[in-house]
Amino acid sequence: MIILEFALITFLIVCAIAFTFSKRLLTSVIIFMAYSLIMSIIWLIMESPDLAITEAAVGAGVTSVLLFLALKKVNALKGKKDE
Amino acid sequence: MIRFIIAAVFIVAGIFVFAAAAFGVFKFKYVLNRMHVAAKCDSLGALLILIGCMILGGFSFMTLKLLLILLILWVTSPVAAHLIVKAEVKTQNEDDSDEYEVIGK
Amino acid sequence: MSNSNYNKDKIPSTHSKAPWNAFVGWVNGDTPEDKFEKPELYQAPKQSHDAHNEESAVQQTPMPQAENEQEYNTDHTEQGHFLLKEKFTKFYKVYIVIAVIIGCFVVGILAYAVCCLPPYGYAENPVNNEVSEKYLEDGLEDTGATNAVAGMILDYRAFDTFGESTVLFVAVIAVTMLMKRSMNKKDEEGERLVAHETEIDKKDQNLILKYGAMILVPFIILFGVYVILNGHISPGGGFSGGAIIGGGLMLYAMAFGHEKISKIITYRSFTVITSCALLTYAGCKAYSFYTGANHLGGDIPKGIAGAILSGGFILPLNICVGITVAFTMYGFYSLFSKGDI
Repeated sequence: MIILEFALITFLIVCAIAFTFSKRLLTSVIIFMAYSLIMSIIWLIMESPDLAITEAAVGAGVTSVLLFLALKKVNALKGKKDE
Repeated sequence: MIRFIIAAVFIVAGIFVFAAAAFGVFKFKYVLNRMHVAAKCDSLGALLILIGCMILGGFSFMTLKLLLILLILWVTSPVAAHLIVKAEVKTQNEDDSDEYEVIGK
Repeated sequence: MSNSNYNKDKIPSTHSKAPWNAFVGWVNGDTPEDKFEKPELYQAPKQSHDAHNEESAVQQTPMPQAENEQEYNTDHTEQGHFLLKEKFTKFYKVYIVIAVIIGCFVVGILAYAVCCLPPYGYAENPVNNEVSEKYLEDGLEDTGATNAVAGMILDYRAFDTFGESTVLFVAVIAVTMLMKRSMNKKDEEGERLVAHETEIDKKDQNLILKYGAMILVPFIILFGVYVILNGHISPGGGFSGGAIIGGGLMLYAMAFGHEKISKIITYRSFTVITSCALLTYAGCKAYSFYTGANHLGGDIPKGIAGAILSGGFILPLNICVGITVAFTMYGFYSLFSKGDI
């Protein structure tokens, strides 16, 4: 279990650093989704399933959708064929 | 003991499939190839690992829960992969280097 | 730097708008180097210059010089922008150095604080003081909820959760003010965009997504309702269940378009239901204050711990929070994507 925890936390740190240093906003949002998912698994390991459910629903689901929509709203997604 | 060995074989096979998926995602360059690898191996690896877990846990209420997880994964994962591929095909350019590039640094 | 004099002569009024232009440029993500490397981009307005180029290619004369200058004068904001970028460029390197120093400083403070922390799980940690013991020992008796977290956030600290729901409500009000297309004023641009989106939706059948959503959405919403109703027994609660239901509504709206879901959830029903849920919460909390504010629902029968109808006010409060959160999440999605509910 300790190995799993270390792997998850390492991945979490890598995600946080990559989230900061990625050049594209879309990539940032996708990395943020991965970050939230790993975070929810860590909450589950730390025996707080309430937070795990909330993190998985809000952090990985709703927030990412809202961020994608915000990117679309400010026309930050370039290269759409429909436009 | 025999049950444990069978379950281990299933789980190791599932892990192998997932490892192959990860390798393929890194190996291939084009988006559609990568999505092909990721989508296929997702379903198969989930099936193998969950069957291993079912055998390991024995027949109980947990088996039903694992079956539900499998069903959810089988419904959601291909749909998500299909949507990603569709977005790729829609936004395809001739110089397909930077689809969905985001302005701003 | 060389043409800053020129700019000053031409446009004296840019300095008044300078901070605003700097802010706009910063929001737009223009790095100072871009402006510094290619200033010639900003000496010629884009579209008119293209047209002139075609003409001059035919006529072989440097004709657009005068017009260019005139447009130069009218184009106040771009020039001001350029000036400011030059100012920023001077400090750009210093800015990086300062950022690194501040970052190292903060990281050092945090690392030092982490070194001073007591070990994890140590018996005399401040985490293990009498407050948490009180919650863990008397929680079941006081609140009647098997889930200690729900008992804590909806009974001992119900006022706090009320504040959280209100924050979400205020956020959706603010987003409505910003994003909602006005009913009185004609907003042709927005309407054109919405028409364009609906046309894309109709053209794009997306059958696979539709069938997937048709299978999934009922179960997602059912699971959300389960999480809300079982909030005081098993892990979960109003916030997580509401977020799950909101995600299900989003998926439905995404798959089937806004027209279908706007038959169910209109703007009026959205506001009425959300406000009613918050008001019910406030009423329950007010009742608890009126009866002494010891803890919520002091004289309400607790019921058998573990049954659905137990835990005093926790179940209705969970339902209120869940409704507020679900509708708020859907409202965010709808306002962001369509500009309307």
